[in-house]
Order: sequence, then structure tokens, then C-alpha cells
Amino acid sequence: MLPRFVERFLTPASGPLRALRWLLLGLALAIGGLLVAWSGVIPIAASSGHWPITDWFLHFAMRSAVRTQSLGISAPDLDDPALVLKGAGHYASACTACHGAPGEAQSLVVQYMTPPPPLLAPRIKEWQPEELFWIVKHGVKFTAMPAWPAQERDDEIWAMVAFLRTLPELDPASYAWLANGTDAKSAINPLQAMAGPQEAVLADCARCHGSDGNGRNTGLPDQAITEPLVPKLAGQSEAYLLASLQAYARGERHSGIMQPVAVALDEATMQALARHYASLPPSAEAARDEQAIARGRTLAAQGRPEQGTPSCLECHGPTATVRNPFYPDLAGQYATYLTAQLKLFSTDQRGGTQYAHLMQHSTQRMNDIQMEDLARYYESLQRN
Amino acid sequence: MTRLLQLRAMWRSSRPAILLFPLLSGCNGPQSALQPAGIEAERVAALFWWMTGGGILIWLVVMGLFIYATHIRRHKEHSVRRTRWLILGGGIIFPTVVLAALLVYGLILMAQLRDFSGTTLKIAVSGEQWWWRVRYAREDGSMVELANEIRLPVGERVAFELSSPDVIHAFWIPSLGGKVDMIPGRTTQMILEPTKPGTYLGACAEYCGSAHALMKFDVVVMEKAAFAEWLERQAAPAKPPQDATAQQGLQAFLANGCGACHSVRGTEARGQVGPDLTHAGSRLSLGAGTLPTNAETFSRWIGHTDQLKPDVRMPAFGMLPADQLAAMARYLSELE
Repeated sequence: MLPRFVERFLTPASGPLRALRWLLLGLALAIGGLLVAWSGVIPIAASSGHWPITDWFLHFAMRSAVRTQSLGISAPDLDDPALVLKGAGHYASACTACHGAPGEAQSLVVQYMTPPPPLLAPRIKEWQPEELFWIVKHGVKFTAMPAWPAQERDDEIWAMVAFLRTLPELDPASYAWLANGTDAKSAINPLQAMAGPQEAVLADCARCHGSDGNGRNTGLPDQAITEPLVPKLAGQSEAYLLASLQAYARGERHSGIMQPVAVALDEATMQALARHYASLPPSAEAARDEQAIARGRTLAAQGRPEQGTPSCLECHGPTATVRNPFYPDLAGQYATYLTAQLKLFSTDQRGGTQYAHLMQHSTQRMNDIQMEDLARYYESLQRN
Repeated sequence: MTRLLQLRAMWRSSRPAILLFPLLSGCNGPQSALQPAGIEAERVAALFWWMTGGGILIWLVVMGLFIYATHIRRHKEHSVRRTRWLILGGGIIFPTVVLAALLVYGLILMAQLRDFSGTTLKIAVSGEQWWWRVRYAREDGSMVELANEIRLPVGERVAFELSSPDVIHAFWIPSLGGKVDMIPGRTTQMILEPTKPGTYLGACAEYCGSAHALMKFDVVVMEKAAFAEWLERQAAPAKPPQDATAQQGLQAFLANGCGACHSVRGTEARGQVGPDLTHAGSRLSLGAGTLPTNAETFSRWIGHTDQLKPDVRMPAFGMLPADQLAAMARYLSELE
């Protein structure tokens, strides 16, 4: 004999009473679910892995989501070796532990994750560049794949994608060249690390910025980088270098590549690095496009008052007067880096030191050609 | 009884305001079209009073006829002929005649206001988001640029050439004349002939963006000799810093790149983007009518433009060390 209220519940009814019954049933199921979770019997152990069907369903949902949500994205030209080089440097410091690299196995520890992170090289071809971009930018829930720390910096994410696309073809030696600038497995020489912590940090910086602080201009040994994306630090104003590292560490200058690096540095190391790079001699770049340089020279000196664009010289030189040391000296800096920064400033995506908003005002009404001309002009200058 | 006393007290306390109301005290002051201080403003004010009078006359006649028809002769039947005369005469012919007369008056007045001959001084004013670039043409053909302040000699016909590099603004000095639009890609003209020395206010009279309400300027009408002397001073380069603090201020001004946008004639600062500051300390207001000018307000302005004027093009420099800000403010406030 059923209890009376169960009997009444099962009796056919119509109208509002029926709706109420379904409501009660839903409520009972929800409470029941909560009770099961509260009891602690749900299997959440990574040690037990997923059932094959759970595994299939989760991957099915993930692949479908990436496919659909990357529909609005279109990839830029990704064949630039400078992009590949920039992505490689970051891959070596942020991705290898989980995803491995040519000549470097995945960490044993991560293979005990559920789901285990895939060894990437053989899997890259399964994805379109736009899908890779989406995954690198947004990360994937429940898998430990993190989002890109600086959501403003699509340009960095594309560099990552450019590198990922070359990953399947890389042999261990080529990978080491791209990531470290030598064929050594890691540029962080243990002996150097013993000599002083700053040496190890410097060796890490050098993987992208070059041991002379002028930015790497070769990817693979025979592959010259004509348009480097990584800035020249040598001879830059010490105050600006330090303030920039601090801005990266505070997340005020946006970069998924530099923020994690800077956050790990203590104040004394930052100061030492700024002093070190400020003291190095900057390299001189060969002039390229004389017409662009001439246009850039005029624009830098006079600005374009009718479009509200101020001149550049007063803050970035060259001038005879003393300038605020928090303003970087742009002479000899790589044009590609400068153009990228101008674009980021103009869309308010760069961030930076507490002076960065000045550049947002200055670049707002500049067009792409003007940015390119200015960058070419400053690249052609020699720092004194 | 108490309620009555309360009402009485209320009447007593508000009586002065109620009695003053017809005097339109709000229409006085340095920005009033009803207190003309120039020939053009006198003409506009006369037009205003004639139009008000005409409007009142029409209203009185129409309402009078209405009361006559509905109340005074309420119980007598109107003849068809009389009714027709009341409606056609009072409702159509009379207002048409009055309005036509006012229109003819207005058209004649407009022709007078558009007579650009016989001017002795030419000033080019460019309305820019959200300030005024003012250029005086001197007799030797040179131009003197200043900002957010216009000084005029009393009794002289002055030609204004009005333009804008960004959006439509309108140039209006209510005490001196009507308003004229400043339209990108065009130069519009207006003539003003001030008749009374004094300080007046001008404003942008066409909504032009977030800081439109803070796009004002001061207008000073001076005796001719004083004006000539003033223009001579404005044409001169900035006076050099007078002491160590001001010297430090000039150095900070140059080191922080202020010269990329601003000019201070006689120094390396030659920017053309923002207001010329050669004689900024001599002006009556700062930030196009936002603040008065003194060392304290200059410091506040440089440090917090973003808080004082919405969307202003000048970035705030609050990150500079306080002593640099103070020195810069001192230097600028002394540029007389």
C-alpha cells in the first residue's frame, strides 16, 4: 500500500494541478541531485580517468564549440618567420611542460591529469589556424588549458599560432634554435645559474631579446629575420625599462608573453635588468625605404595639427633638450615593433606605464601609413 | 487660523522674488542678448522686443474678439456677416498684416547684419573640440595667435572669419551680436561693433560633443589705446622665467613633451595642436572658461584635465611629481 500522498501524486489530473506536479517533481530531482553531491560519492578522481563515453562526449562538445565559436575569426598571414620566432620563445617557457616539444618529453606529472594534455606536434594538423587561435586565446574549461593572460593581444596569439603550425615539421635541433637561439637544449646554463640568479634570468631574456639586447635577428641558423617583432632593449632609457617591467608585472602593460615573465621577477632583479640593458650599445639598422623615412621625418617633427596629431620629437627625440626618462628613446628601434605598438596604442589595447595614456591620445587619429612612416623613420635613426 | 498665518508668512518671504520676476533678472549679466553692448546686439534686441510686442498685440486682439463673441454678446445671435468679419478680420487678416510687417523688418535687419564693408580689424576664430583658436591679423600682415579669449577695441567694426577643423560649432557673444555657425570646410563671416567697454562671455551655441558646455571664452571690450597696447603685448614672445622655480617649470614643460601640442613663442615649444600658451597667464580663464587662471588652477588643470572637462583632448599629467607640476603651473601662470 502506497502512502497516501504518493497515491495522489500518481492519480491522473489535468490543468494547473498537473503543472504543479511536474514542478514538484523537478524540485525533488534537484534536491536529490544536491544530496548526492553532498554525500560525496561523485567520482572526481583523476586517477580513475573518464568512462569512454564521458571522454567521447566531452571531446565532442569541445571540438564542436571550438569549430562553431571560431567561425567569426579570420587568420592573418602566418608565414612570417618573425612571428614563428616570437611564438617559439613563449612556447618554450609556457607550454612545453604540458605539451612537450621536439626533443622534449611531456612532464611525467601531467600525464596523470584527466584529461591528459596532448603531445601537440602530431595533433596540430587536426585544427584550422582560426581554431588554434580560439583555443590559445580562450583556453578550455575543465582541462587545465589556461586562457591567454592578455586578452587584448590578439597579435601575440597569432604569433603563437604561427609557431604551432610549424611545430609538426620541427626536428629537435631546429626547435632548440628557434626557442633558445642556440642548438643547446636550454639556454639557461646551470653553471651560469650558479654564478648568480641574474645570469640565469638574463639567459632567459636573451632567448628572445638576444644576448646583446638588440633582439634576435635569426630564427634558424640560416634564416635571417628582416622584420623583428621583439624590441631592441639595448641602450634604452633605464627608467623606462624599469617602469615597463613593473607595468607588465602589475598587468598594466598587456602581454601574455611578458606578464608571466615580469611577475616572477623581484624588484632588485628588475632594477638590475633595466640597468644592464640600458648600458648595452644599440645596433644600427640599415635604412630601407627612403621615401617612407622622409615622410616619417616630417610627420615626427611637425605632427599633423589639422588631425590633432602632435609631433613625436618633443617626447621621443631626437632633441637637444633633456627629456623625461620615462619616455622611451625610439632611435634605432625595429620598425615592425614600433608599428605594432602604435596600433595597440591607437585601439587602447597596449597599456603600459603611467604615461601610456599620453600615447593613446596621440595615436588616435593616425592612419596605418603614418604609423609605418614614423616607425621607418625612427628605425633609421642612430641613438647617440 | 494657523494655516492662514503660514500662508501669510510664505507670501511675505517670497514677495520680493515674485515682484522681481517680471524684471527677468536672469537676463542680466555678461552673457545677455537683452543687455546689448554692440550695434548688432542692439539690432537683434530691438527685433526681439518688436516681435514680442507684435505677438502680444495679436494675442490681445484675438483673445479680445473671443471674449466678445462668447461672453459679452453671449445671449444675442450674431449675424452671418458680422461673424464672417470677426473670423476673417481678427483671425486671418490682422495677424497676417502684423506678421508680414515683422517679417519685412526682420529681412531689412538681416541685410544690415550681413554688410561686411568698412571693417578695420580682422580676427580669424576656429572652433575646435572644445576650445577656440583665435588669430589676429596685424597691420604688417603678421598673425598673432592666442586662445579662448577675444579682446576688441570699442567703436570699431571687427570682421570675424569663422571656421572649424572638426564638427559644426557656433560662435556667439550674446552681448555683442547674433550667432553664426562654424562649419568644417567653409569659412563663415560675421561683423561685430562693440559700443560699451566691459567683460562679456561667449559660448559655443551648437552642440558639438561631450564638453560642449565647457566651450566658452571671455570677451573684453577695451578703449582703443589700451587695445593696441594689449595686442602689442600678445604679439611679443613669452617673457623668460623670472626665478629658479619658474625656470624649473619651463624645463619640466619641455622635458615632458608639452611642446608637441602647445606653443610658447620664444621657447622650443612650437606645437600647433592645442592652444598657444605664450601669454596664458594673462587670460581670464583656463580650459576655455573652465577655471580662473592662477598657479593653483593651472596645477589642477594639468594634473586632472580628464576630471575637469569630459573627453578633453589634453591628457592628464597627474603622474608627474608634485614639485614638477607646481613649478610648471607657476611658470605658466606668470606668462602674462
